[in-house]
Amino acid sequence: MLVVEGLTCRFGTKAAVDNASFSIAPGSFVGVIGRSGAGKSTLLRMINRLADPTSGRILFEGTDVTALRGKELRQWRARSAMIFQQFNLVGRLDVLTNVLMGRLAQIPSWRSLAQVWPEQDRALALSALDQFDIAQLAAQRADQLSGGQQQRVAIARALVQEPDIILADEPIASLDPRNTKIVMDALLRINKHFGITVLCNLHSLDLARTYCDRLIGMAAGRVVFDGAPAALTDQIARELYDLEANDVMGGAPMPAPDGTTVPALGTAAAA
Amino acid sequence: MSQLPRPDTAELRAKYPGVFDRPASARLAMPTMIAAAFAIFVYGLVDLDFSPTKLISGMSQLGWIAMLMIPPNPGTSFPLYMQALGETLSIALLGTTLAALLALPVSLLAARNIIPSNLIRFPVRRFLDSIRGVDTLIWALVWINVVGLGPFAGVLAIMVSDFGAFGKLFSEAIEAADRKQVEGIRASGGNALHEIRFGLLPQVLPVIAGQVLYFIESNTRSATIIGIVGAGGIGLQLAEQIRVLEWQKVSFLILMILIAVAAIDFISSKLRFAIIGQRAVV
Amino acid sequence: MARPFLSTQLRTGLQAPMATAVSILPAQQLATLEGAYRKSVARKRSKAALATAAFCAVLVIAAFGAEVNLRTLFTYFGNFVSYFDRILTLDSGARVWTDPAEWFWGWHKWLKMLGETILISYVGTLTGAVLAFSLNFFAAQNTSPGPWVRFTVRRLLEFARTVPGIVFALIFVIAFGLGPMAGVLAIAIHTTGALGKLFAEIVENADMKPVEGIRSTGASWLSCMRFAVLPQVSAGYASYALLRFEINVREASVMGFVGAGGIGQELVVAIRKFYYSDVSAILITIIVTVFIIDISTGWLRGRLFGKETRR
Ligand SMILES: Nc1ncnc2c1ncn2[C@@H]1O[C@H](COP(=O)(O)OP(=O)(O)O)[C@@H](O)[C@H]1O
Ligand SMILES: [Mg+2]
Repeated sequence: MLVVEGLTCRFGTKAAVDNASFSIAPGSFVGVIGRSGAGKSTLLRMINRLADPTSGRILFEGTDVTALRGKELRQWRARSAMIFQQFNLVGRLDVLTNVLMGRLAQIPSWRSLAQVWPEQDRALALSALDQFDIAQLAAQRADQLSGGQQQRVAIARALVQEPDIILADEPIASLDPRNTKIVMDALLRINKHFGITVLCNLHSLDLARTYCDRLIGMAAGRVVFDGAPAALTDQIARELYDLEANDVMGGAPMPAPDGTTVPALGTAAAA
Repeated sequence: MSQLPRPDTAELRAKYPGVFDRPASARLAMPTMIAAAFAIFVYGLVDLDFSPTKLISGMSQLGWIAMLMIPPNPGTSFPLYMQALGETLSIALLGTTLAALLALPVSLLAARNIIPSNLIRFPVRRFLDSIRGVDTLIWALVWINVVGLGPFAGVLAIMVSDFGAFGKLFSEAIEAADRKQVEGIRASGGNALHEIRFGLLPQVLPVIAGQVLYFIESNTRSATIIGIVGAGGIGLQLAEQIRVLEWQKVSFLILMILIAVAAIDFISSKLRFAIIGQRAVV
Repeated sequence: MARPFLSTQLRTGLQAPMATAVSILPAQQLATLEGAYRKSVARKRSKAALATAAFCAVLVIAAFGAEVNLRTLFTYFGNFVSYFDRILTLDSGARVWTDPAEWFWGWHKWLKMLGETILISYVGTLTGAVLAFSLNFFAAQNTSPGPWVRFTVRRLLEFARTVPGIVFALIFVIAFGLGPMAGVLAIAIHTTGALGKLFAEIVENADMKPVEGIRSTGASWLSCMRFAVLPQVSAGYASYALLRFEINVREASVMGFVGAGGIGQELVVAIRKFYYSDVSAILITIIVTVFIIDISTGWLRGRLFGKETRR
């Protein structure tokens, strides 16, 4: 059980995430939706502790994750595997080494720094690659792969972390439709077969509706929707995105212009 | 012919005062700067004792010297010069390599993404800057006081002065590294050493190797001159022959330097290409 | 297979052992994959090892060539440290900073020489930059009038760049006599070579499309250059020239070693005659000057052309 209590993250005066609270049951596939700048990435990064919350707590199975330090913090990061929009692989290392990075928290530092990987870890990494049909690329440099292949390597890296929860930050935003399906199906399989919780930021409502059991809608840092995909009516979805749109313009929320969204000539300059 | 409606100038003026009435300071800035630069230039000529007569007589002297230089001829000293050139190349290679080895760990301390605290980074940067502020020739004089005349002092001089330059360049390369890759390591549970070893070094080492190769080339040039103060290499011969006005030997030595630098340039750009895999950006 | 047990306090909260999302492949298949991986990695590794070995061999040869003697270094390294100890000690035996007036006793003379050094590099840089400006159009591929002009100018620039400034100074001191004039000319020539190449590269990288754009409005060639080319290249020119000025200040500080003016004269006398505290005083004035010039040219470049022209 992952519990988020009043989580807030400020950059300067701006709250990227504002007092977010929810809890996520083990084994669920949760989508986080909202326009860009809504705070989705910041939320996930705080859970993985890549970003530090200004206030609020994150609890995992009763442990206060926000209080972890040092080795325990690194163990937590390994347990909450992160998948990034830009894959965040080390371009100049080969694919297998990139996947083995997922074992860093588990093996002694001297072994990893000298690249003396335990035999069973290599087997684990190769098997994970094979699961995504890219084991034959093990010796290639990561930056020579296509985007879809890179994301699969990144998922393999996440899997060898043997995570309890996978945090995917717009994993398909840099991919073409075919790879989008491969990656989303992989996440779904991991979720359904192995019961690993998935928390996935998504840009597209359609995808979110197709894959997720539950959706969390964010706008301007606040959680404004939390429920089953079926409960997300078009009305709510539009509000979610419109509120955000006004925020971008920097003005106070105003009634959405009916009919056309094209502003009259001259008003843009005045704004 | 189509015609735009004539704008109302007064209204536009009121709306965009910055476009129509640029303040005098903005309009006069450039001419003033140029005039000042020229004034300082003229003052410099006067203060540094430039005179047309000196310039003309010097030029004719120089013409004479150039005539005396042709054809380049080493006399009987060719083997000696080759040895001196070898010494120069050795100095450049060793000095640069040692400097790079010393500078790498220090540059980590000077990089913002490794040491966010100004408390450490700032003194390290200033330290590196002070070393850079002292010319290689000065370091050569200092080292001659320590290890005596000879090429070893030259190696140490190049090592120290490049240490300052490398420390700065390497730390800039580290700061320019892609943060996402490092973040990938951190998110998987790696510690600070892992982040450096797997996230940073693979990105930074090729850049650093390119810079080192580039410096080996430019240090071949520096190494030719430290001989002038007695720190070994071909510069010693060059200064000596200029002193005794053996112009044919001087021109031969200069020719040797030009060829050696061109050769090193060729090799190092080939190597840089092989390492970085594209046109090296230094 | 036995997976390493994940020992962490976090784990204790868990009831059931985790199901892993990776099913380990059969040994046979693993061995094949592992073999293929090792083979292609081994090829890369052996190449790298060979290159490293070759480099080390060259280093060893170089060490003999440069008469590197580690024993000397270790024996005398104390000297290096104690040298700094000595240059930071006054004749009276006190530390230099206890008596700044005594330490910088010659400040009047030194500041004057420092001013001369800066002037040498200023006049030298400006002359060199103007020469480089007038030559670079002949050296750049897209503006050169003919291939042989380009070839000649390029070789000339290369010559001026490769021969170190101080070698020119040595020769000029004989032709023009001792004094700052030799230093200025040496720096000017070297700067012409260095900037000429960089300027030409800027011109070659300039975008020719704006020229077309301006020409299409009916503008003259001069207007094209003024409004399409100059805006692209002037920031780069000035930026490189300022950088060069900073380098030249450093270079001018040693011109005095060969009698070509500036503070180097004072420094070399102090070092050779073991006026220890003078050495540190002069070094500090040089370092501070280079600092100030470094910072102010950096500031100026930032002010004039924004951040993107750094480097
Ligand atoms: N490191 C940071 N420094 C300053 N502001 C940030 C930082 N990271 C995110 N923000 C701001 O926080 C807000 C939320 O960003 P983000 O979480 O990336 O949104 P999303 O992922 O939903 O697009 C944005 O307005 C962004 O500008
Ligand atoms: Mg985002």
